[in-house]
Amino acid sequence: MTTVSWSGEPGTSRGPGPFLSVRDLSVEFSTEDGIVHAVDGLSFDLEKGTTLGIVGESGSGKSVTNLAILGLHDPAHTKISGEIWLEDQELISAGSGTMEKLRGNRIAMIFQDPLTALSPFHTIGRQIGEVYRKHKGASKKEARERAIEMLRRVGIPQPETRVDHYPHEFSGGMRQRAMIAMALVCDPDLLIADEPTTALDVTVQAQILDLLKELQQQFGTAIILITHDLGVVAGTADNVLVMYAGRAAERGTVREVLREPRHPYTWGLLSSMPRLNSPVDVPLKPVRGTPPSLLNPPPGCPFHPRCDYAELAGPELCFTQRPSISPETGHGDACYLTLEQKRDLRTATTEDRA
Amino acid sequence: MTGFLVRRVAGALVILLIISAVTFYLFYAIPRDPARAFCGKICQPETLALIRHNLGMDEPLFVQYWHWLTGIVAGRDFVQFGECPAPCLGYSFATQEPVFGAIVDRFPVTLSLTVGASVVILAFGIVTGMIAAWKVGQPLDKIASASSVIGASLQIYFVGPLLAFYLVDTLQLIPRPSYVPITESPVEWFTHLMLPWVVLSIIFTANYTRMTRSQMVEQLAEDYVRTARAKGMSNRTVFFRFAWRGAMIPIVTIFGVDLAVLLGGAIITEQTFSLHGIGELAVRAVQNTDLPMLLGVTIVGATAIVVLNIVVDVLYAFIDPRVRLS
Amino acid sequence: MRSHSRRIASITAVLAAGALALAGCAKGGGGGAPQGAAGTTQTPLENKAVSAISVGTAADSAGPAPEVPGAKPGGTVYMIDRDDFSHLDPGRIYLNYNSSVSKLFTRTLTAYKHEPSGDIKLVGDLATDAGTTEDGGKTWKFTLKDGLKWQDGSPITSADIKYSFERLFADFITEGPDYAETWLVPDPNKPFRDQYKGPYDGKELDTIETPDDKTIIFHLNGEHPDFNFTVAMTGYGAVPKAHDTKQKYDKQPFSSGPYKIVSHITDKSMDLERNEHWDPKTDPIRHAYPDKFHMEFGVQAQQSTERFMADTGNDKYAFTFHNAVAAERVQEVLGNPELMKRSVQGLTPFTTFYNINTKRITDINVRKAIIAAWPSKQIQQISGGEINTGKIATTVLSPTVLGYEAFDLYGKLAKPEGDPEEAKRLLAQSGNPNPTVVYAYNQTPTQEKITVAIKEALTKAGFKVVAKPLNPTTYYDAIGVVDNKYDIYWGGWAADWPTGSTAIQPLFDGRLIADNASNYSHLNVPEINEAIDKANEITDAAEAGKAWAAIDRMIMEQAAIVPEYYQTYFGLYGSGLGGVKFDPIEGEQSALDIYVKQ
Repeated sequence: MTTVSWSGEPGTSRGPGPFLSVRDLSVEFSTEDGIVHAVDGLSFDLEKGTTLGIVGESGSGKSVTNLAILGLHDPAHTKISGEIWLEDQELISAGSGTMEKLRGNRIAMIFQDPLTALSPFHTIGRQIGEVYRKHKGASKKEARERAIEMLRRVGIPQPETRVDHYPHEFSGGMRQRAMIAMALVCDPDLLIADEPTTALDVTVQAQILDLLKELQQQFGTAIILITHDLGVVAGTADNVLVMYAGRAAERGTVREVLREPRHPYTWGLLSSMPRLNSPVDVPLKPVRGTPPSLLNPPPGCPFHPRCDYAELAGPELCFTQRPSISPETGHGDACYLTLEQKRDLRTATTEDRA
Repeated sequence: MTGFLVRRVAGALVILLIISAVTFYLFYAIPRDPARAFCGKICQPETLALIRHNLGMDEPLFVQYWHWLTGIVAGRDFVQFGECPAPCLGYSFATQEPVFGAIVDRFPVTLSLTVGASVVILAFGIVTGMIAAWKVGQPLDKIASASSVIGASLQIYFVGPLLAFYLVDTLQLIPRPSYVPITESPVEWFTHLMLPWVVLSIIFTANYTRMTRSQMVEQLAEDYVRTARAKGMSNRTVFFRFAWRGAMIPIVTIFGVDLAVLLGGAIITEQTFSLHGIGELAVRAVQNTDLPMLLGVTIVGATAIVVLNIVVDVLYAFIDPRVRLS
Repeated sequence: MRSHSRRIASITAVLAAGALALAGCAKGGGGGAPQGAAGTTQTPLENKAVSAISVGTAADSAGPAPEVPGAKPGGTVYMIDRDDFSHLDPGRIYLNYNSSVSKLFTRTLTAYKHEPSGDIKLVGDLATDAGTTEDGGKTWKFTLKDGLKWQDGSPITSADIKYSFERLFADFITEGPDYAETWLVPDPNKPFRDQYKGPYDGKELDTIETPDDKTIIFHLNGEHPDFNFTVAMTGYGAVPKAHDTKQKYDKQPFSSGPYKIVSHITDKSMDLERNEHWDPKTDPIRHAYPDKFHMEFGVQAQQSTERFMADTGNDKYAFTFHNAVAAERVQEVLGNPELMKRSVQGLTPFTTFYNINTKRITDINVRKAIIAAWPSKQIQQISGGEINTGKIATTVLSPTVLGYEAFDLYGKLAKPEGDPEEAKRLLAQSGNPNPTVVYAYNQTPTQEKITVAIKEALTKAGFKVVAKPLNPTTYYDAIGVVDNKYDIYWGGWAADWPTGSTAIQPLFDGRLIADNASNYSHLNVPEINEAIDKANEITDAAEAGKAWAAIDRMIMEQAAIVPEYYQTYFGLYGSGLGGVKFDPIEGEQSALDIYVKQ
């Protein structure tokens, strides 16, 4: 098992460090209505061969963060600050040529809905092969052979014929496998999987996640797994980052975060998740309220409008001051409640449910 | 594919039969006697009866229609006009030439006009639309958008004479529009049709600029385009190989529909520039209540549109593998 | 005399329905006069005969035609027009448009010679003179000139001429005039095709006699003193037996004139080149200065006007048979002295008028009151003015008809805007000072405006006017019914040859009243019917002219119509041409004197 170190000093030059290091990343979109603060001061690290699960509701900044790593935001409407280091390469300041060479090659991405994310106009084989040709300079024939090999590797039967099929001729699970094959065709060091199983039914979900794990063990790929499903994280990830309103709410190892969640938002996420061992007649408790507007984020802790315990931290604190994550390494969270308060509240709610 | 074609052609034939029958029937609902046109100024009743007989108009309507249909296959012999070899669509009431021959004579003109204009429309419209999409929000995009609005509001019969006046009469930059067969002189053919092409394509081109632009912008926001970027495809590849393909689908669909409109525009253009094409024939046939010509032009026009639509469908399947021709 | 029961349909009946075949007959036909330009400021022309028409002598008939000063042979003349010629087989030609061009390659027994003075003479074309008759017009003798040849060099004989008349009985020749056919069979009261079926089954017509190669004698079934005018119609032009291609002849006629057709693409173009077998010494009316004619069709009036105005390239050498100056350009042309120098204008044989239904309005004073109150001037202004529409008419006969006399019984020229006081006076005499009249009209934008003017003027005189719009496509069917329910409705007419018989008889012979016949005013006055019969028998053309003019006066005294216009033609041609003249017989430009300026 690998450990995750959370560095507290952003912006310093790097010696040998984590494989991927995101430092104080901010992403702002300018829209007609104003500026959207999609990601606000986010930092995290990732080591080779490990999986980081990023969890949060829609609009919490999970996907935006990862598109920033790939450099896929439209520069005309987006302002990105902070640093993203991939080993000794800084990605935010990198030129478009450099990024093109990295994308699909060292960093690959798997998208949520393989039906829309694959081009309907080109065969699966071509879509896989062109990545290989682009980055490895392979010939058409080599690319096709590689595509067949990749399809076989991700468990697609009769890859020699399937390679010439179009995405609409594949089932949902097969499409996602093809998508994974496409992402892995150049043996990337970093794989970003953006809700790779959301669009799939449960049995297929498990197969896909198993496949990812298997490939990781084989090639030592670092994986960022974006999901809103803590169950997926529990089974797959080594570390977890819980995001809320573009910020990190809690982070730690899977065990730490799922066993001893500290942030009230994490509690909410966990209690909204069905468990096998809990009675069926106990209703799930989703987090009340709606995610905050990122156009006009609330002052203070962004979670306070939905938090049941904001008063406990003091009369003003949660409403005016924005908490940052602490401690800076290991299991940390961004909440003004004391550890004891959190432990007590947590025990109480868990008992409630039981 | 073969099954698809057979079914489509059979369907097309049924449609053409219905169109011709309806046109035939409607014509006879017009309260006037085409035989009058063949009768001298002081027309005696017996002469009129003779002409009706000569034209086969003394038979019941469905017999006349049957003769018309069989004439297409077997040819006919008219007392008034002489022999009409197959495929015989009858003789024009107005010009007294075989309808089929008249249409065949004029077909190259309309074909040159519409094909040339289509090329201008698609080439120019799509290119400017792509440029506008490439440079979204920049001055070039705004100019393209604005000029497309202006273009769409122009009318052939206004722009045609205006451009002719400046380019042909005043500046004498280009020759007066006319039709020179491409077999005679490709260069002359081209230069003499330049103005009609431009004029006919102006209103459409603008539309295609707008459509291409919006389609491209839409396609560029599609997930699969993002995937292509995430794979490390260059902007150019993404733009031309991925987004373009998707954008062309609605364009091809709409172009299939627009072909009918384009033929309509060809009519006005032919009138504007005195080009002797099918459109001119059609207008004259309507003015003269010239049934055989009207029927002939209608059927040829309908056939053209039906055939082009089949072509568009095939093309569509070619561009979009999700569409199966089965 | 022709059968009384015979139904006569007006050319305008077809015109109104928009038939291309006849569309060339006259612009503004069917009551849809051009819109646009307001009345011109020019002073109106006097209503007097535009030309003296007479029958010429053998000397007048001898070729060659007198030189046009300054004219030289050579060059190509261009012709641009809206419509292609609908017929070229002479037997199928009735329209001025087809006739004008046919003169270049089809010769007739007689033809009209236009003297520099403006006088018009009927002369022999193929014949040595304008024909002779000894028995008051029942037997006509024509002698062919020497040196007449077809385009292949073979001689034109009397047998060819006889054949040309015989083939007119064929079942496919239906479009041309049928005067001669009706007169050449034994019984004029039975359909002529029942009595002779044409030459194609080998039978000859024995009423045409050819004692030798040069002489043709016609034995008619009645007295027709103006038969020599009849055979001047292109419809009676020469067709060679050896080259009669029947239905196909309509596209490729065989030339007897100075040019032959080298190419004719329907609706697009026609090219003429010289026929070297034509001998100018045989021809009193044709010059044939240009080497070639190139004719282009499908040019709308608006475009031809603009091209003549621009006067560039080959358009400099272009004329038009038929296209008039587009209504919206008339004022511009009138104001431009350079353009006016190359304009052609004149009166056509076409007259327009408003029929007064004498079966319904039986009181002559009411009819006279209608004429008196009529807003002629306003109508002329709405229609586009004198120069491109017509001169206000006061008679039945056009000034282009032999014997035309100018008179103005109702003072319309003095008060062209209508005289309500006089109308009121006339209505007082009728016993009903406020009669109701139903005015039926073609529902077109121009006619709507004209109707308002008519309603206003008649109402001012005390009439109650009910305006009844009719569908333009069925207009003539509606007014053609003898028992129609309308009192006043528009119509038009042109004489087939410039004598009174075809100008008056079809319109005002009371014995011809029938559904769809052309006596739309339903006038049936025994004195007029008798006078028509008498005039038809007068052998001397000048005397006959006087008789027809007298009938004209009788009809106007009966107030059967409100004359509208003597229609005018106003056209342009290119600056590189000379000798472009107006032909008052056809009412359009003539190609016979044209030359390329060198």
